[in-house]
Amino acid sequence: MPVRVAESSAPSQVSGAHSEESSPPICSLLTVGQAFSGTQNVSNLQKEEAWRVNVRIQGCDLEHGYLCGTMEALNVPMADTPVVTFWEGEIVDAKNYTFYTGKWEATPEDDIRHWTKFPSFAPLLSRVEADGGKSLDLSNYPYIFMRWKEQYFVNVGTDCGLTIAGFYYVCFSCSDGSINGFYYDPNSSPFQKLELKCANEGRSGFSFSSYELQ
Amino acid sequence: MPLLKSYMEVVDAGARSLKMIYQSKMAPKYDFLQEENMEFLLSLLNNESENVSGLGASIISHSCKTSLEQKLLFDAGVLKRLTSLLGGSLIQRDASLESIATIFKNNPEVVSQFVGPDTGRTLSCIIELVKDRFARTRLLASLCLIVIRNASPCYLQDVGIKTKLINNLLELLDDPGQVGDESSFAFSSLIAEKEDMQKLAFEVNGVDKLYNHLQKGSLHPRRFEGILLALADMCSKLECCRSRCLSLQVLNLVVDALAHDSSDVRSAACMCLRSVSRSIKNLSAGSFMNETIVIPLVRLLDDTSTAVQVAALGAISNIVVDFTTRRSTFIRLGGVKLLVQLSKSMDSTIRLNALWALRNLIFLAEDKSKEEIFMELTASLLASLICDPEPSVQEQALALVRNLVDGRINSVEYIFAEDGIILDAVGRQLRIASKAEIEIQGMYVLGNVATGKESHKEAVMDQLLLRAENKAQSCIIKFLQSNDSRLRTAAVWAVLNLTCSSSPGSSGRLVKLHDAGIVSHVKNMVNDPCLDVKLRVKTALEQFNSFDDSLV
Repeated sequence: MPVRVAESSAPSQVSGAHSEESSPPICSLLTVGQAFSGTQNVSNLQKEEAWRVNVRIQGCDLEHGYLCGTMEALNVPMADTPVVTFWEGEIVDAKNYTFYTGKWEATPEDDIRHWTKFPSFAPLLSRVEADGGKSLDLSNYPYIFMRWKEQYFVNVGTDCGLTIAGFYYVCFSCSDGSINGFYYDPNSSPFQKLELKCANEGRSGFSFSSYELQ
Repeated sequence: MPLLKSYMEVVDAGARSLKMIYQSKMAPKYDFLQEENMEFLLSLLNNESENVSGLGASIISHSCKTSLEQKLLFDAGVLKRLTSLLGGSLIQRDASLESIATIFKNNPEVVSQFVGPDTGRTLSCIIELVKDRFARTRLLASLCLIVIRNASPCYLQDVGIKTKLINNLLELLDDPGQVGDESSFAFSSLIAEKEDMQKLAFEVNGVDKLYNHLQKGSLHPRRFEGILLALADMCSKLECCRSRCLSLQVLNLVVDALAHDSSDVRSAACMCLRSVSRSIKNLSAGSFMNETIVIPLVRLLDDTSTAVQVAALGAISNIVVDFTTRRSTFIRLGGVKLLVQLSKSMDSTIRLNALWALRNLIFLAEDKSKEEIFMELTASLLASLICDPEPSVQEQALALVRNLVDGRINSVEYIFAEDGIILDAVGRQLRIASKAEIEIQGMYVLGNVATGKESHKEAVMDQLLLRAENKAQSCIIKFLQSNDSRLRTAAVWAVLNLTCSSSPGSSGRLVKLHDAGIVSHVKNMVNDPCLDVKLRVKTALEQFNSFDDSLV
């Protein structure tokens, strides 16, 4: 979801990525076509504010730790229509990606500061601090950690006065498909919280569609 | 000794003529299985005359076709002789390289026996010839190494050699003759299905180099086809290659090739388009769903060549995965009508691919598009495709129905059209199917329908509780016990949707599921080895609990 540009913080530093055999659980709630809805809290010192947000998963390639989809922000004050962005996700699987971002102006300290906001990260903290979490087997862990980075605006121009410079630290619960996230952009309000739940779209239960590329 | 000299000349001339004859595909096959023939072949290879030994090598390249023949030649020690010819004249070298490749081609068994003191010598000879000054020798040496590597990946692991091969083949594209035409095919066989090789090829600007040749225009059809296929292989797995293709605007040339006179070129252009359109990032941006691409592709659905039709269906299957509202472009241009027609083809590959495209087209489609597609497809055609004799067609038909009933709640109604013939077909197929892929798609159809109204859920119950003849239990019990965790997941989702606590009829359905023995099976899965299944079962048990403790 795009945010308004605000105050700045923290310098940047890059860390290396590690690789190790292990993959996240294949969760049927985190598959193509699945929709989620909720809010992003964009409050700052001046004002309490939350935008309604819808997310849809459009692509998933677990082998490469890749996920992508769209994010629609509904009541963005400056925009006449809902603002849709396309994002790409890195799944922390200790194989393709680790908990350390190593780019996007996020230092290892920024990483730890954000991941520790998720209660489900607590049991992993000591291992991550010890070796970057490269010895962790996350394949049977009921939470999936990811980074989502918006890549482009789908329905508005780049001159819309909004920025997608930052990225989200995301924690997905395999049990109920709920998603929590924190937006990180050194130039925006810190710790903007994203909270999403599975959207049943008027159905009593969960419906699944699928496509397969050739 | 004038007589002997002229005798040798006759032998030489005879060998030269025979060699030319053996270069024709029409020449009769030499029978290696006869012992005396093998002895004669070895005597040819051992002959000092380059034409005679060259004839021996030509016979091998021409006539060795089966794995038995490859093994016989290998066991007869032909390789040792061929290796020594690698150090001979140009004719001997080239003929020997071709024969070595023939003996190893697609035969891991023979390659695995290719160990011992001579291995290193043969390999280093061939590697050396990759740098030869003659283009044809360089190509043949590369092909030889590719054949060995493809049959047994333990050879040629060295990044230096891999990069050398890639660079060599890309450079050989500059050769204006047959060598240049064939080098792209060799390049394809080197990188196909191998992500590490594709990455290396990308790093040496492979996409740009292929594009430069494509750009030259008026290419010989064989060369045109080869370059398009090489690009298709480069873009089959890696997003960086696809991005590079798109930023170089390679697609403009590929789209032109869709209308080429040669069916091989048209087919290769479709394959290239198919690979590039695997980019979800660009599918999401709607980069491919425009008239420039769709019009010539849809035209190919009527092509006289079946291979072109299948290749076009492959590209269309990807391009119609559309996350915007642009699929109306495809429908407006008559794409659906043609796909539906092809789904009735006598050729099962065409039926399969046409359904595949329709399944992807209907994924997350808006109501209006779904309606148009369904009108064209009809319930009776869908029902018959679900029961198609070809299992892969059944699977795609079920996946299509799964997408059809997803989305807005009123979409569920499609499955009840024409007295519910589609639903009946799904139920029947689930009771008789034996392939997990079919059962998974079928269970997701029922699971999706079970998210609808009470009457929809009851219809699913009826299908699940119907037993096949001679079967003591419902098919869903078999699915819950399947070794395939994807099928167990799909089955548990159906149970979850049928017993959703917000639906008034759920407690009644729970009783029926209990009486059919289904509930106890779900209970037994509480420690399922697959986390996804385990978590769904946990939710199911919580749901059961909310109705009646006595059932859990």
